[in-house]
Amino acid sequence: MSKSLEAKVELVDVLNWIKRIGSDSSSTVPLLQAVQSEYGYLPRAAMDMIIQNTDITGSQVYGVATFYSQFRLKPVGRHIIRVCHGTACHVTGADRLDTSLRHILNITDEEQDTAENGSYTIEQVACIGCCSQAPVLVISDEVSGNLTGANAQRALKKHAKKNEEIVANI
Amino acid sequence: MDVNNLNVIVGEGTCGIAAGSKEVIEAFRKHAPEMNIRTVGCVGMCHQEVIAEINDGNGNRHIYGNVTKKTVPQIIKFHKGEGDLPEDQLIFSNDNQDLDKWRYLAHQTRIALRNVGYLDPTSISEYQARDGYKAIKKILAEMTPEQVIEEVKISSIRGRGGAGFPTHVKWTFAKQSEGDIKYLICNGDEGDPGAFMDRSLLEGDPHNVIEGMLIAAYSFGASKGYAYIRAEYPLAVKNFGKAIKDAHELGVLGDNIQGSNFSFDIKIKEGAGAFVCGEETALIASIEGDRGMPRFKPPFPAVKGLFGKPTIINNVETLANLPWIINNGGKAYASHGTEDSKGTKVFALAGAIKKGGLVEVPMGTKIRYVLEDIGGGSSSGKPLKAVQLGGPSGGCVPENLFDTTIEYAAINATGAIMGSGGMIVMDGSTCMVDLAKYFLGFTQNESCGKCTFCRIGTLRMKELLTKICDGQGEMEDIDALEELTEQIKKSSLCGLGQTAPNPVATTLKYFRNEYEAHIKDKRCPAGVCKSLITHTIISTDCTGCSLCEIQCPVNAITGQKKVKGSYVIDQVKCINCGMCFEVCNSKAITVE
Repeated sequence: MSKSLEAKVELVDVLNWIKRIGSDSSSTVPLLQAVQSEYGYLPRAAMDMIIQNTDITGSQVYGVATFYSQFRLKPVGRHIIRVCHGTACHVTGADRLDTSLRHILNITDEEQDTAENGSYTIEQVACIGCCSQAPVLVISDEVSGNLTGANAQRALKKHAKKNEEIVANI
Repeated sequence: MDVNNLNVIVGEGTCGIAAGSKEVIEAFRKHAPEMNIRTVGCVGMCHQEVIAEINDGNGNRHIYGNVTKKTVPQIIKFHKGEGDLPEDQLIFSNDNQDLDKWRYLAHQTRIALRNVGYLDPTSISEYQARDGYKAIKKILAEMTPEQVIEEVKISSIRGRGGAGFPTHVKWTFAKQSEGDIKYLICNGDEGDPGAFMDRSLLEGDPHNVIEGMLIAAYSFGASKGYAYIRAEYPLAVKNFGKAIKDAHELGVLGDNIQGSNFSFDIKIKEGAGAFVCGEETALIASIEGDRGMPRFKPPFPAVKGLFGKPTIINNVETLANLPWIINNGGKAYASHGTEDSKGTKVFALAGAIKKGGLVEVPMGTKIRYVLEDIGGGSSSGKPLKAVQLGGPSGGCVPENLFDTTIEYAAINATGAIMGSGGMIVMDGSTCMVDLAKYFLGFTQNESCGKCTFCRIGTLRMKELLTKICDGQGEMEDIDALEELTEQIKKSSLCGLGQTAPNPVATTLKYFRNEYEAHIKDKRCPAGVCKSLITHTIISTDCTGCSLCEIQCPVNAITGQKKVKGSYVIDQVKCINCGMCFEVCNSKAITVE
């Protein structure tokens, strides 16, 4: 992961969220959701600012951040591809979508999920509830269904072209 | 025909969008800007998406399925009187009411889903036009909370989230509990992979769920409500949020509703992705801002729940039935179903089925009826092998038990559960051992870690299943799986652990031969487990099109373009991903 993907966190933003959402312990999840929707992941600096400026403890922030699958502690690419791994998608070939996308994005290291140029991150998610269109994936917020590995690559190329991203193996 | 008077209605639920509804809407706007275009929620005929209805406002309707941006002009031409009826796309019209495609809906009994796909979920007036908020007004004008509970008792509805606890009993507990404030939580954390009825209701008919919440809250005296909705359902969060705002403006949410002394308000809490949060006490912990870990019961949430106050958690589908029950009477609801299970149940039908989507049928219907009469049978032409009910907590029901009736006791007897209503259909191309491994991988990942047997036991089971799928299994592994099944069931605090071994238990019960084939013959009968299969190109069928070579992610395929039969797979490099098999138009690739 290149350093350049690390987000720069502004205290004023974090304080704004705290003001809007709240500073008691029941605000932990929504606060972290606000942070993640801004930066795509939970930067350490932002979590520290929450701990310093609310009643929420460090163990609670970190405990919640590591418990729920939505939260990420690593920086992400500029766009996120969510490949559904619900039951219907699993039996209709969700694995092939992963393989084909990792191939086209040239992500060879099994530990990595982001393309070298920081364009796309592939995430495996639990059911997104479009089971009849399985297998399904979501690029940014565009849902596509009834895919084969080749269609998935096509959907990604289309998205990349529209967003002026370079996809490695074309 | 005057196109200016025509309405176009396009289904725009998440599945409609996945199938391309945005492009279709664009195409209608481009080719017929004079038509009145509006969008509705998903009607649940997912196999026909994108669905578009054209009507003249006087009850003259044409409904089309599998609409794409390319077929839009043909549809418009027909309605302008300039072309023929696009018959292959027609699902329903006033002159064609008995088309095979329409039977999918005609064979259902829709109560919870009665509005989905018929109204614009962002319009409160459309909901009102379909008897919306009539039930809550009736209650506030003429019913006591006790009468509401009594009516729901007559309906005999049981919680639709999976456990099937009688709804009125829960409410009675909470009503008897002392508390200056009581909470109602709408459980929209539909975590079961393979279930999407709650998504469809929250997206497609949010006011119905809100009215259901009002009825529940009134019955036991709740003044605050939370709608806990999965973050994976952004459209549901958006539509539900708008519905709350509109309901406030209409005066059916907020303080002193309709001039009564009943006050109720709803806040949305977005879930952050944890399957265990479907469990009541874990969900409460999550709203309180903690890790979603279940707590010991008693005290039950109805006595001591959210922030220590009496709390009721009702599932989305349960709530969606309530306005209908109040408007039509508990007796009318109980007239559907069987002695054991009353009313209707929504199922999400998907997998190897011709017509997938949402299906609402009376309890007591046979599984076979849902799969064959409504679902149209196998999509691949291969015979159906099993249906998976209840997601990771459920089990597989084999083909020879498809005559089982859909009711709590009968389904439990097969080893599966009713669950929230996921129905994933499988033909011969699904490996049951791989499926069991998939579910155990899921529950192992989602186990909160509190109970040792759930945390470590599911991991051990997953490891054993992986070993079998990799062709390294021994017969003793089956004994170990059976032993773990018992131990995990006995030693887990919550439903997640207690039911986690079900997928293994049922596949071992009904498909032991597949386990044995993996272990004894080192063979995966379905051709799924990568370590036990090989992909080969039949040279006589190969056309030399080179598609497989282009698709292969590991460059294992070589040959000469345009030279028939020249392509071969290097078995050392091949990872059996199946990409070549999928792209080969001449079916020249075999998997064995």
